[in-house]
Amino acid sequence: MATDVMMPRLSDSMEEGTVLKWLVDVGGEVKRGEPLVEIETDKANMTYEADTDGVLIEVLAQEGETLPIGQAIARIGAAGEEATGDRPQATEEPEPEPEPEEQQPEKEEAPATRDQPPATSDGGGNGRVKASPVARRMAREMGLELAGISGTGPGGRIVKADIEAAAEGGGTAVKERPAEEKAPDTRPPAPDTASADGAKGQVSVQELTRLQRTVSRRMAESKATAPEFQLNMEIDMTGCVELRARLKEVADPAPSFNDMVVKAAAKALTEFPRVNGAYRDGQWELYSRVNVGVAVAAQDTLIVPTIFDADQKSLGAIAADARALITKVRDGNITPPELSGGTFTVSNLGMYGIENFTAIINPPQAAILAVGALKKKPVVDDAGRIVARDMMGVTLICDHRILYGADGAEFLGRVRQLLEQPFSLAL
Amino acid sequence: MRYREALNQALREEMEADERVFIMGEDIGVFQGAFKVTQGLLEEFGDKRVRDTPISENTIVGVGVGGAMSGLRPVVELMTINFSLLALDQIVNHAAAIHYMFGGQARVPLVIRMPQGAGHQLGPTHSHCLEAIFLHVPGLLVAAPSTPADAKGLLKAAIQDDNPVIFIEHEYLYGQRGEVPENGGPMRFGEAAVRREGSDVTIVGISRMAITAERAAEQLAHEHELEAEVIDPRTLRPLDLDTILDSVKKTNRAVIVEEGWPHGGVGANLAALIQEQAFDYLDAPVARVTGADVPMPYSKPLEQAAFPHEEHVIQACLALFKDL
Repeated sequence: MATDVMMPRLSDSMEEGTVLKWLVDVGGEVKRGEPLVEIETDKANMTYEADTDGVLIEVLAQEGETLPIGQAIARIGAAGEEATGDRPQATEEPEPEPEPEEQQPEKEEAPATRDQPPATSDGGGNGRVKASPVARRMAREMGLELAGISGTGPGGRIVKADIEAAAEGGGTAVKERPAEEKAPDTRPPAPDTASADGAKGQVSVQELTRLQRTVSRRMAESKATAPEFQLNMEIDMTGCVELRARLKEVADPAPSFNDMVVKAAAKALTEFPRVNGAYRDGQWELYSRVNVGVAVAAQDTLIVPTIFDADQKSLGAIAADARALITKVRDGNITPPELSGGTFTVSNLGMYGIENFTAIINPPQAAILAVGALKKKPVVDDAGRIVARDMMGVTLICDHRILYGADGAEFLGRVRQLLEQPFSLAL
Repeated sequence: MRYREALNQALREEMEADERVFIMGEDIGVFQGAFKVTQGLLEEFGDKRVRDTPISENTIVGVGVGGAMSGLRPVVELMTINFSLLALDQIVNHAAAIHYMFGGQARVPLVIRMPQGAGHQLGPTHSHCLEAIFLHVPGLLVAAPSTPADAKGLLKAAIQDDNPVIFIEHEYLYGQRGEVPENGGPMRFGEAAVRREGSDVTIVGISRMAITAERAAEQLAHEHELEAEVIDPRTLRPLDLDTILDSVKKTNRAVIVEEGWPHGGVGANLAALIQEQAFDYLDAPVARVTGADVPMPYSKPLEQAAFPHEEHVIQACLALFKDL
């Protein structure tokens, strides 16, 4: 008996995955624990290992194909076992009907008093299409969208006969567009006389990678849902510059300024639990661990690996972690666990000479700290003299649903305090 | 041959074949049985093997359990299924559990016969259908034959079986006629009968309701152009679920008809099994047609209204296809 290999859930937020490369040929031997297939998730490219021994008798998802998790992508069976050629249904059970029909007709009276019109199949306005289990299964197998089919069963339920009618083309069914089909060309039709290139010249369309799509979706979601405000501050980093110069003598490589910012933020986060929290579904969630994500630019995309328990790690440990993660990101072999679990994010564009900028909150986190470049600036000291100090502009972008102005300001003030008296960071 | 004659024949044949078989119960000897199932047996086999008892259900079953444990094959009769409630201690705590409690060292090859069912104005203490109570108990086999042939074949199998068997007869069915094979041997438990083939809806009828379901199916075909498949499970433990599931996978609809109460009933159990094992094949909710959720009324019209008839089965089937 062959077993199906399902599209695995390789990260928390993964909903679908793309088969990049089969590492075993059809007919080849598969061993439990050995690499079977490369899969692109919303976060990274992963090698997925077989969880059973046998022979790869059939590949159901070709390279480049994108499937939701739980969908069969291959079959592993005994040598000589035949491929069936059909794609079985997903293992996820359909949700139960929210309102089962009256089950037992009263025998004293015929249930002729029910008078709901057999109109639509919208399951009573909760957005769920009312369809029988067999109709759901058949629609799934045929790739039919239930929403486009009108139900003729009791209460407007979509029943098997409706699916059969739709499959024959007689119904009102809409074929679901296969995922791999190209997006429709949205360019306006060119006037007859003009060249096909249009005013913008030739257009080359680039498909987004899964990662890029995730970034687009999450950033848009953040901007659309989080009422944000921003707090600016200049931090005197002269102490940090001195500290780093000294550390350079003993540590190789020495912690960067960004590592110091991460450390200072992590320390401050333990004192301001709501900054280390999230607004979710009308509630505040506060997290016991302080996991700081560090935004890293890589290969036309943005990846935020996580430094776990940054509050408990030494500056040296944070520096080592950050370096290892950045290398993994640049080499493309970061794994989903290293990308999840963040409770706060630090984004640094100082290396590009940017002095101040704002960033978009990484949802559902409460805030993100945007860190600019260090620059020597004239500053008036306590004695009223003008002195040159190493100044750094930072911006804290806060979700007002969980952080209010004073909360953010106090947190940021504490970060400044820690960075301006940096010896506590070196502990 | 009538259902009661088929039962009588099974008892006679098994008593002739095996002298360990004896029968015991209220009024089964001199009076020849409240429903005349044991007619002629006292005369033929003598009062050692056909024993009249006082009104003492728990003792009747208890003696049966003891006799079975010590190597006999008792067949005890309880006058109605309602009276079996007096013997539940012996049935549930002893007959069903002894084989398990003694690690298989003791067996209870006991048959407990009892009729159930409404229709004779015998009121709430004589007329109920309680197969669900016995179906609930592990260690008991439960048979509920609906035809004379099944009554004979299953009773012979029950007597030959080494497990305690609750053998549920039906007061209405005693007088019904049907073909019974000459020299038929014991039938197997756990084999459902497909009484009628059909492609549109599966009707499972329990005990007498298998007959009601079959009649309803004929009307559905003639008046509503629906072809119902009618299944009689014949034994509830073991249950031939495969035959039912195969049918539901074909028709995509199931209606379960039983005479007993709806809550915790045979149909409730079967509906759960069907949705667990054939969910993706269902085109409609599994429907139940059951007895009314009341003690059985004495009044004739009320009694008739309190258990399912063909029209209720037809309505239930039609409701799976359209708004009524």
